[in-house]
Amino acid sequence: MNNRQAIKALVRKDIRAITASIQLWLPMLIVPLIVGVIMPALLIWMASRVELRSIGNLGFLLDSLDLLSSSGQIPELASMPTDNHRIIYYLALYMFAPLFLIIPVMASSILTANSFAGEKERKTLEGLLFTPISMDTLFKGKVLAALIPSIMLSWITFLIYGIIANILMYPMFGAIMFPNWNWIILVLWVVPSCSLMVILLNVLISAKVRGFQEAYQLGGLVVIPLLALIAGQASGMLLISPVLLLLIGAALLLISLVLLRLVALWNSRQQLAESQI
Amino acid sequence: MIEVRSISKQFKEHQALRDVSFTIEQGSVTGLIGPNGSGKTTLIRIMNGVLGATSGSVTINGLDPSAHAEKVLAMCGTLTEQSGLYENMSGRDNLMFFAEVFGVQQHTARIDELAELFELQEYQHRKVGTYSTGMKKRLGLARVLLHRPSILFLDEPTNGLDPDGIQMVLRIIRRLNREEKMTILVSSHVLSQLSAVCDRYIFMEKGRKVEEGSEQEIVNRYLTAPRLEVEAALTDGWSAAAEFNPEIISTDKAIFQLQSREEIPMLLRQLTTKGQVYQARMIGSDLESIYFAIREAHHYE
Repeated sequence: MNNRQAIKALVRKDIRAITASIQLWLPMLIVPLIVGVIMPALLIWMASRVELRSIGNLGFLLDSLDLLSSSGQIPELASMPTDNHRIIYYLALYMFAPLFLIIPVMASSILTANSFAGEKERKTLEGLLFTPISMDTLFKGKVLAALIPSIMLSWITFLIYGIIANILMYPMFGAIMFPNWNWIILVLWVVPSCSLMVILLNVLISAKVRGFQEAYQLGGLVVIPLLALIAGQASGMLLISPVLLLLIGAALLLISLVLLRLVALWNSRQQLAESQI
Repeated sequence: MIEVRSISKQFKEHQALRDVSFTIEQGSVTGLIGPNGSGKTTLIRIMNGVLGATSGSVTINGLDPSAHAEKVLAMCGTLTEQSGLYENMSGRDNLMFFAEVFGVQQHTARIDELAELFELQEYQHRKVGTYSTGMKKRLGLARVLLHRPSILFLDEPTNGLDPDGIQMVLRIIRRLNREEKMTILVSSHVLSQLSAVCDRYIFMEKGRKVEEGSEQEIVNRYLTAPRLEVEAALTDGWSAAAEFNPEIISTDKAIFQLQSREEIPMLLRQLTTKGQVYQARMIGSDLESIYFAIREAHHYE
């Protein structure tokens, strides 16, 4: 039994299933488009054309920026000529970063729920259990089939966002501002580890539930800590930094290792078969 | 060889199998017969190592499937009622996928061969979602034969098929058994469909094995007191065989309830000396009648 060949076959089949189903790929394109491209581009564009200080409810953000500047967390803010520069710089390089994590979380949840619980729902999982592939191979194939598109989608969105952000910011700053270390670590370290963690969590959930909807709803709970990170960032209470991002990525990997152990422990061929009878 | 020893299976509240034992010889075709819910599918899953038994043991060519599932699955081909096919993929893509998962060498040639055997060439590039039940069944059969298994488990392979489809499946079972010496276990709730292909039968009822053997063995076991319907023109009427207590149906037809098979030639000899015997046939001697009698006997257990 050639494991690599079986893993490749599983990945190809699952990716083909995604591209064949509009219900799957459409939300996976719309969310990155809104969260990663349209919304940030619109905000940066507006910010570059409007006197932001005149907008009343942005006062809290400016206060936060003053604090971040004076405390030395983002010292470069102090040398910027206007509040608009400061706000746009903060939005483009800090604010949207945790928001960006919604993309791999969402994609990983949908892909894994479809791939595992979806197989159960469509009564095709048993056919796979009757093949001589090991459960290890099956899980590797399933995880990769969700991980690869999830990371690719995040990276492509990152590239598009980067191009747009630089196009909009260049006339104001006269330099290429994007990406900073935060973004590089986020995309190369946190996005893959976050995707892996969400996928493994969803594999665990999918193996226990009977259908796609149930798996997707339970898997959605993983967004809660992400919302906390976004709120922390927006309020200036928890500023992401390269060190924090490295730690978050490491913590996510650690959680993934624990989940991997649980997946191996709770998902033997016989347990999987019995869960769908 | 497949050996099943005292297998029981409990699903939470439901006892699916109770102390089932039997042996299947290499190269034989065995019919696993029983109504829906009698435990046939559970038994097939356990024999493959896909489900674990609550107690008892199974060996497939000397291997324990629950410990060596991958090795056992590599030598077995199993078609369950849910064909396990991907409806969004074409028939050929399904076969390609499973060939890669099974690690089949030169799979293009093997797929072509199976597409021809199951007359799928015309539809192989169509999505499986558009297939009829019969086409799906044929594709499912092709799928489980991709890796040239030596043992074949077919769970209700004729379910939902039209008479032509049933004949095709039976023809293929015969061919695989004769030409490739495959050991085949085929389950069905319709005995009559399988009588043309099976060497032996295992009857299941409510999770228990209630009978086992070849057709002849089972018939001999149950046919201790045969009923014989005779059509004859006798000079003195049925009084000529009065000692056999005929139930007279008409002047030329009567039924005899005999005490043993040995009485049959005695009766016929006597009748032929008294007139012309045109026809004599056993009533309720076929396997299906016996099967229903066995089921009836176990119904209230």
